[in-house]
This record gives sequence, structure tokens and C-alpha cells, in this order.
Amino acid sequence: MKRKRSFAKSLKKAFIGLVAMLPTLLAVIGLVGLFQVFISKEMLASMFTGDPVRDTITGTIAGAIAVGQALISYILGGELLQQGVSMCAVTAFILAWVTLGVVQLPAEAEVLGVRFTIYRNILAFISTIVVSVATVWTLGALR
Amino acid sequence: MKFKGVKFLMAVLVLYAVVAALHHEKLITALEKSGMVLVKIGPILLIVIFLTAMINYFFDPKDAAVHLGDKSGLKGWLIALAAGIASHGPMYAWYPMIEDLKRHGLRDGLVATFFYARAVKVPLLPIMIDYFGLTFTAIITVYTLIAAVVQGILIDQIHNKSNK
Repeated sequence: MKRKRSFAKSLKKAFIGLVAMLPTLLAVIGLVGLFQVFISKEMLASMFTGDPVRDTITGTIAGAIAVGQALISYILGGELLQQGVSMCAVTAFILAWVTLGVVQLPAEAEVLGVRFTIYRNILAFISTIVVSVATVWTLGALR
Repeated sequence: MKFKGVKFLMAVLVLYAVVAALHHEKLITALEKSGMVLVKIGPILLIVIFLTAMINYFFDPKDAAVHLGDKSGLKGWLIALAAGIASHGPMYAWYPMIEDLKRHGLRDGLVATFFYARAVKVPLLPIMIDYFGLTFTAIITVYTLIAAVVQGILIDQIHNKSNK
């Protein structure tokens, strides 16, 4: 099949697209640095009270605030379980860690629109709680 | 070329100035952490550039609209789920590619599905199994993928309603 475009042109176009977005990316990365310094793992762990319902919502919020690799959320989630935090809360925490991100909200709104960002994050927040409860309930039913 | 997020970057720089004035030592640590993140996502950004170029090269805008647009059907959902599962790195690293695809007709519902499906991290599954067990991992994976599609459907419905 004959192509009218050259790959070099496509590459250049993609590169320009990324360069145009550099201020957004640098801003998010800058915020990630600040969050990692000012919001510690201990601070996140201290948000849990022991009440399963409240802790599930807290887990979602804490996961949304936290930044870092998903692996860290598993390690932290494991520690929280050992501290007696409910499975629902820990599940919500590890899910929200990846699917929600307070730090990247301004960037998401800039790129994909404010309306989309609001609706997507509200739906992701609700989904995280529903998936967490459903997972733990199914797990309990299977045992 | 029009830069995106200049005001956002300015706001973050103001935050850094405040931190510099109040907690000078934390400023250095924050800059170091940001630098480490930048180094980590560097290769991902290169992948994003390459993938975006590949998509632009191999698919006409019309093709993208067929595979990811309003009439993409089941194929669209499967592509969004697979792309979400396969994507690495932070969500924001993928914004340039998504923005480009949106210009070619990618619909909002598939973006939402892609973002939520990212919770399934194939390379980390063995670690998740080790921490939380095989049954837990299997259940949460299935429910997450279902939730990703449900979110996509709802976002599409909201989008269609607001366009009427």
C-alpha cells in the first residue's frame, strides 16, 4: 500500500505535540515533587480510623492524593492491612492510587476539558468505592 | 506552536517560590524528587512520541474515527481496554497521544475506559497476588475492567445528552 506521508513527518508532528504540552507536564511533575515531600506515607496511614465505611471513602481520597508508582500502593496497602485497616479501604486505596489523581487534575482539564475531567473523576471515585465493596463482598462469598 | 498549561506551570512555580521562602530544605528535596520523576518518565515520553507517530503514519484520521469514533462498537471498547492495560507510567504522560487521537475522532467514553483500565498492571500482577492473594487479584481485575467500560458508556451518554 502506497503512503503519502513520511514517517519522519509523523515523528516530527508527534514531537511538536509533546513539546507544546511540556509546560503542562513540567507543572504536574513539579507538583508530584512537592506532594512527595509534604505528604508522607505516615500522614496517609494516619487518615484511617478503623470504621470500614468511613475508611473506604478515606482510602479513595488518600489514594487520589497520593503520588508514585503503583507498586508503592501495594506495599503501603499491605502495611495498612496489617495495622487492621479494612480490606475494603485498602482495595479502594490501591485502586484510587492509579485511577484518580489530584495532582494531575489541572493538566487533565487543560488537555481534555473541564467538563470531561469533572465527570470522569466523579465516576472514577464512585467506581472505585463500588469495585472495592464488590471485590471484598465476592471474596467473602467465595470463602 | 501554542504551548499548553503555561498558567498552570506559573502557578506551580509560585508554589515553589513560597516553599523556597518558608522551607528552603524541602525545596531542594522537592526539586530532586521532581527530577527523578522526569528521568523516570523520559523513556515513556519517547514511547508516546513513537506511538503517536506510528498512529499518524499508519492510520488516516478517517481510520482512527472508524476504530475509536462514535461507531467503533465492541472493537473500540476492546482497543481502549487493551491500551489501558498495556500503558505504563503516569496517566499524564499519555495526554499528548490522547489529545492527538481526540483530534482524529477518539470519543470521550473510550478515554475514560482507557484511564480506568490502567489500574490493571500486568507486570505488577505477581506482586499483587503475593500481597493480596490470587482470588482477590482475579476478582479486582475483572471488576475493574467492567467498571472501566461502564464509565465509558456513562461518559458517552453524558456527552451525547449535552450535545442534543
